[in-house]
Amino acid sequence: MGRSNLVSDPLRILTAVPLCDGHDSAVMAVNQALIHHGFEVVYLGYHRSVEDIVRAAIQEDVVAVGISSYNGGHLEFFREVVESLAAVGRDDIGVFGGGGGTITPADVVLMKSYGVDEIFLAGTSFEWIAERLRELYRGRRDRTKYEQSTVADDRDLAMVLSAVGELDLDEKKWQRGSAKVIGFTGPGGAGKSTLIDEWVRGYLAGKPDGRVAILTHDPSSTERGGLLADRASMVYAQNDRVFMRSLATRGRQGGFAPSTENCLRVLASMEAGFDHVLVETVGTGQEALPFEGSVIDTKVLVLHPEYGARVQLQKILMMDRADVVVLNKTDWASAARAVEEVMHQISLRNGGGVRLYQTQASEHGNVGVTELRKDLLG
Amino acid sequence: MKVLNKVVSSVELFNQEVEQRVCEARNDAKVGAGWLQRWGEIQRSIPQVITPTGISLPRLPLPELDEPGLIARYLCGEGLPGEFPFLSSVYPEMYLEPEDGSKPQEEPTRLFAGLGTAEETNARFHLLTKSQQSHRLSTAFDGPTLYGMDSDADGVFGKIGEGGVAVDTVEDMERLFDGFDLSDPQTSVSMTINGPAPTIMAMYVAAAKRRFSSGVEKVLRGTVQADILKEVQGQNEVLFPVAASLRFLLDMMEHSVSHFPKWYPVSISGYHISQAGATPVQQAAYTLSNGFAYAEMMRERGVAVDVFAPRFSFFFDCGVDVEFIALSRVCRKIWAIGMRDVFDGDLRSQRLKMHTQTSGRSLVSAEFKNNLTRTALEMVMAYMNATNSCHSNSADEPFTTPSEEYVKLASHGQSILLEESGLFRHMMNGLNGSPGMKAVERAVEAEILKEFAEIERLGGVLGAMEHRYQRSQIQAASYRYEQQILSGERRVIGLNRYADSSDAELPSVVRVADAVKLKQVERVRAFKLKNKEAAAEALDGLSQVVENGGNVFAQLIETVEVCSLGQITERLQRDVGVFRPMI
Repeated sequence: MGRSNLVSDPLRILTAVPLCDGHDSAVMAVNQALIHHGFEVVYLGYHRSVEDIVRAAIQEDVVAVGISSYNGGHLEFFREVVESLAAVGRDDIGVFGGGGGTITPADVVLMKSYGVDEIFLAGTSFEWIAERLRELYRGRRDRTKYEQSTVADDRDLAMVLSAVGELDLDEKKWQRGSAKVIGFTGPGGAGKSTLIDEWVRGYLAGKPDGRVAILTHDPSSTERGGLLADRASMVYAQNDRVFMRSLATRGRQGGFAPSTENCLRVLASMEAGFDHVLVETVGTGQEALPFEGSVIDTKVLVLHPEYGARVQLQKILMMDRADVVVLNKTDWASAARAVEEVMHQISLRNGGGVRLYQTQASEHGNVGVTELRKDLLG
Repeated sequence: MKVLNKVVSSVELFNQEVEQRVCEARNDAKVGAGWLQRWGEIQRSIPQVITPTGISLPRLPLPELDEPGLIARYLCGEGLPGEFPFLSSVYPEMYLEPEDGSKPQEEPTRLFAGLGTAEETNARFHLLTKSQQSHRLSTAFDGPTLYGMDSDADGVFGKIGEGGVAVDTVEDMERLFDGFDLSDPQTSVSMTINGPAPTIMAMYVAAAKRRFSSGVEKVLRGTVQADILKEVQGQNEVLFPVAASLRFLLDMMEHSVSHFPKWYPVSISGYHISQAGATPVQQAAYTLSNGFAYAEMMRERGVAVDVFAPRFSFFFDCGVDVEFIALSRVCRKIWAIGMRDVFDGDLRSQRLKMHTQTSGRSLVSAEFKNNLTRTALEMVMAYMNATNSCHSNSADEPFTTPSEEYVKLASHGQSILLEESGLFRHMMNGLNGSPGMKAVERAVEAEILKEFAEIERLGGVLGAMEHRYQRSQIQAASYRYEQQILSGERRVIGLNRYADSSDAELPSVVRVADAVKLKQVERVRAFKLKNKEAAAEALDGLSQVVENGGNVFAQLIETVEVCSLGQITERLQRDVGVFRPMI
């Protein structure tokens, strides 16, 4: 199988707003504009620590980190990000930023002197931001010649995931380990990310040594760009025992990205050494069967009660393939009817054996999620 | 039917009834004669005022109407100042100079302050109020405090005291208001805090109890913002999952309305929704719907409407768009009708009392002195709309915590408008009732009702929030706004029009010295060390109340005696979880 030329792949950028700052309207506007200009933007959200930003930048193997700062403390914050990236040997990851008038021209000079590549002040056009970022970072990253065979830490693993692309993997090098691979799929808005995050919260609390990898997907939109924003709401997954990677579908239909299979094999390998690997598809349609031919051990279909009339349920092909069906958002008024209909639908399946869980993932310590966790760990 | 749909129907019904009265007045000679007679009586009852330049004017000018239908429409549909549906104002006289030369009914000027440590902000408060009879202390908190963190937390050092005051403990709260008599009816305190509002409010109550007699709670005056719904929708300072955040807030509101009868335990805020990018209509619709949602939740807790509704206050943004010539008027009308017809509230419950702040977003750093003009224009519109209080932004705010020079200009701007100019001193309704204002009213009201219907369709305020409705609408509006500035469609003088690159003057930036930040770090560490054992016990006591469903706020008043803000936030997050941000 051939591979795409990585040099022309979309530039991957991480964006975030610093700790104790919730001003996200500028960064959201920049995210939208960059996507439109063909960037893949991994958005970490607001109120994020240096530690979270650096961890995410490394795991996502982005070319640069963009920080939007509005309420002061930018001199210290940017410097810490630059220094922390250098401290882990990733000073090749650029740092740029922006903000309102709180960042003065004198601050910009100072920030550039300690390694910030660019600061975009209020009134800068989106076109200029996109052009300048391409100028700064295009061609900076070429993983085609990357040949890491051992994975000592997140940093190595992240670079391997960028390098494997759609190549034929060396089966010996990436021999399957003991990791259990669990796939989550379902329509958009079912609450898959929240469910995984709540699952992870309890997992980390209950397994003091457990290590988990999460592979999430978001659709690429126009001009190849895409917003990968799962990290923004998955707060418990921002943890040193969690390796998270966000992939854009880059034109692939069905729920996954072109490099998903390879990434999954690497993450599930003995070399990577995870206990659990969770993979989340994009929001899928009724006909989607994303896990066919994949290394998934347990297939989980996540639904919410508003799937429409009963007949719509019969059309969801995954209903016949899932090992576990989760009906999430059981606090909704329509949940009781949905439970009855889903149970009926499951009972019609040949062979049976499918397990049903009712969850309200947005509730802290939800009983349904706890039961699901036990099932999937079992 | 759900609350918002009921409000929509009530407003529509109200408008129909007004028109029925108009028809009656026109078609029934006896009714018509009655309206004419009443109109004459009102006109005769209005006193005259002599201006400094020697002309005689009515204190309340009325439209020139001599036809019974139009009189009926005016009196029923708009109402005289202080009369339902309060389109003109919630009180009859607002900022008019009383005839006997006493204080006006409303003293609306508020200035927001907060910088560095409690001592520095305290000094600023003394400076701002030194020549004023009444002490209105409006407090801004720094980033770590707004997110419920202590000054010694990892990674927050650079933010300590920036943009607001650092408050970690009840001792900081005591220092903050040192030298002010919190039990004096002339003193009122406002605190702009939301996610950790119950903890900060508990510190305020505990500090007041420490400094004054126990029982001081009954006379505390002021407002805590505490509006968690708008945080989820726009401003993003949320610490706990929505359900838990609402529980803590409602615990505080319930406790406050029964124990602190003069306190406003929530300021239902459109300001931040607007700052996040909302259009004026969106600001009004989301804010009012949030208000009705809180009212519904309090009612579900069994609190009587006339107990809680008079303790609600509102907070709106006033920008430069044309909607602002009438936006607040429409808000008062919709709230009054909703509280009367849907919640059965009395006159006090029907009055929407609002604070207005000029728009921070309308200010730009390019040629920043133009911001003085923007703020002045916004103030005029805020007072035209009979706001109960007003904060005017300082021109240097795009860069920095306002410097004393620009704070003074902002403050004096209000005095020039209210005391020096004749616009608001002699007459009520000096600027009301223009055809343009009426046109804006009609358009804005219709759009707000449409938004209500859409929110209801998505399951009410909470359901719509879960669908990210308000957030995505605000973000789309924000994106349009930015695009309009970039394309020049929205003109911003000095930025995309008449920009003069030679005029790059910058104000001096106020930053907090590292030594000051260090002092705060050491202080909170010392507090925690001193109370180490007592804190562990107090936190367990707090967890127990969370677990057994008691009033968390009542417990917090005890907890803050020995625990810091950060300790309390962490414990509550362990008990109820962390908020998962929405994009």
